[in-house]
Amino acid sequence: MSNLAFIATQSLELAQEALEAGDQQNIAAAAGAGMAYGLAAIGPGIGIGYLVGQAVQAMARQPEAAGAVRTNMFLGIAFTEALALIGFVVFILLKFA
Amino acid sequence: MYYALLAAEEIAEEPSNPIIPVWNELFWGAISFFLLWALIRYVLLPPVQRAMNDRAATIQADRDAADAAKAQAVSASTELEDQLAGVRAEAASIIEQARSEADAERERLVARAEREVAAMREIAETEIQTEREQAMQALRPQVADLAVGAASKVMNGTVDLGRARPVVNQILNSPN
Amino acid sequence: MFGLEFPSIDNLVKWPSYFGEGTFYGLNKIGIISLIALIVPVLMFHFARKDLVPRGMQNVVELTVEFVEQQIIMPSIGPAGMRYMPLLLSIFLFVFIGNFFEVIPTFQMPANARMANPLILAIVSLVTYVGVGFKHHGFSFLKETIWPSFVPVGLRPLVGLIEFLTVFIIRPFALAVRLFANMLAGHILLVTFGVLCITLFTLSPLVIVLPFSFIMLVLLTAFEMFVSFLQAFVFALLTAVFIDSSLNPAH
Repeated sequence: MSNLAFIATQSLELAQEALEAGDQQNIAAAAGAGMAYGLAAIGPGIGIGYLVGQAVQAMARQPEAAGAVRTNMFLGIAFTEALALIGFVVFILLKFA
Repeated sequence: MYYALLAAEEIAEEPSNPIIPVWNELFWGAISFFLLWALIRYVLLPPVQRAMNDRAATIQADRDAADAAKAQAVSASTELEDQLAGVRAEAASIIEQARSEADAERERLVARAEREVAAMREIAETEIQTEREQAMQALRPQVADLAVGAASKVMNGTVDLGRARPVVNQILNSPN
Repeated sequence: MFGLEFPSIDNLVKWPSYFGEGTFYGLNKIGIISLIALIVPVLMFHFARKDLVPRGMQNVVELTVEFVEQQIIMPSIGPAGMRYMPLLLSIFLFVFIGNFFEVIPTFQMPANARMANPLILAIVSLVTYVGVGFKHHGFSFLKETIWPSFVPVGLRPLVGLIEFLTVFIIRPFALAVRLFANMLAGHILLVTFGVLCITLFTLSPLVIVLPFSFIMLVLLTAFEMFVSFLQAFVFALLTAVFIDSSLNPAH
């Protein structure tokens, strides 16, 4: 009986330790993931804002060139956005992989 | 320990990484995409593009035909305008000619009428003249006689008729 | 937290197959969406009559073809790019239909939120633009990429390395990841607001914020429709731009 109790407490402690180690790792990963996405979103946020602002200005100054400006704007957004999306992927990797 | 083992077992079973593609999805995705590409390339797109090109060609041809018809209509209308202008000029000249002819005719008629009037007046005047002459001729002996009588009465004697008559005639013949 | 239960990531990663579980031909929901993305364009083109005056489905098909021609090929490659019409059209349709299942009820999952389809399309794009480069410029395409003659000699190894990495690794990787991450992020966003709306049926104090989450869900659904179109457009446009950079390199 006492042996069984001893084994039970030992295994419980071991499980606790394992869980705690895993938890700490998970917490670190989650924090890193949040940091990764948050930092990755800063640059592209500024970049896309500037890009679209300039594109709107160009369209307002030269409405006849609006089609070409819009196409190039989407292209630029796609390139700029890729950085934020890579940050998002890193977030997914850190969080779930 | 048990939970840890369970977790380890789960991880070993299949890493749940959202980024790694899995084979069966790759398989079906590749089949779908390459089949779609091949079908669009060889079966589906050509008829649609042909229809669109045909339509573009038809529209272009219709537009060209419309342009040609428009140009033709414009040329026909200018031609008609030219004809109309010619006809108008002709009509004007005809009217002008007719007017001048009418003027000439009137001039002619007026002249002829005046001439006739003048001739008639001439005739009438000569007739009056002859009438007067005749009347004078007819009246002359009586006037001579009356003058001789009057003269003989005035002179209380007889007047030789043979001598007086030429004098009277001379007086009568002298103007007034 | 707040009694909300977000579904685990496994719901997004592990899709049970309808048959052939565990084999390479196991057909799951993503595979079915891929097949639908094959069938729908085929039916569209099949039922589009090829009349002089378009009507019904023919309008849709011709609008799509014209969109690809006017908005994707002409601004990037120009009239010489009409050869790549079938490729770009199929990429556009495949990506768009795969994306659009993000907002179609009972599916609610973009096929491109899994890495498989974006990877295939990115590899097709890579093979196409590298092949076009080799076809039009021969070996000098590769030489100009890793030893560019338009930069000073001292900089050539560096620029060449960057160019090589850009052309052969970063471009296809960014192409695939852009589509994948956009659709995955959109899906997670919709799931998040959907889960917030579930609490409409609870009696917790959180009920106050629920109308807002419902409005946001509706607005985000519309936004995701736009995104699914935009990502298909961007994917095809970038493929066209890469083909153009292979046709006319070094500028």
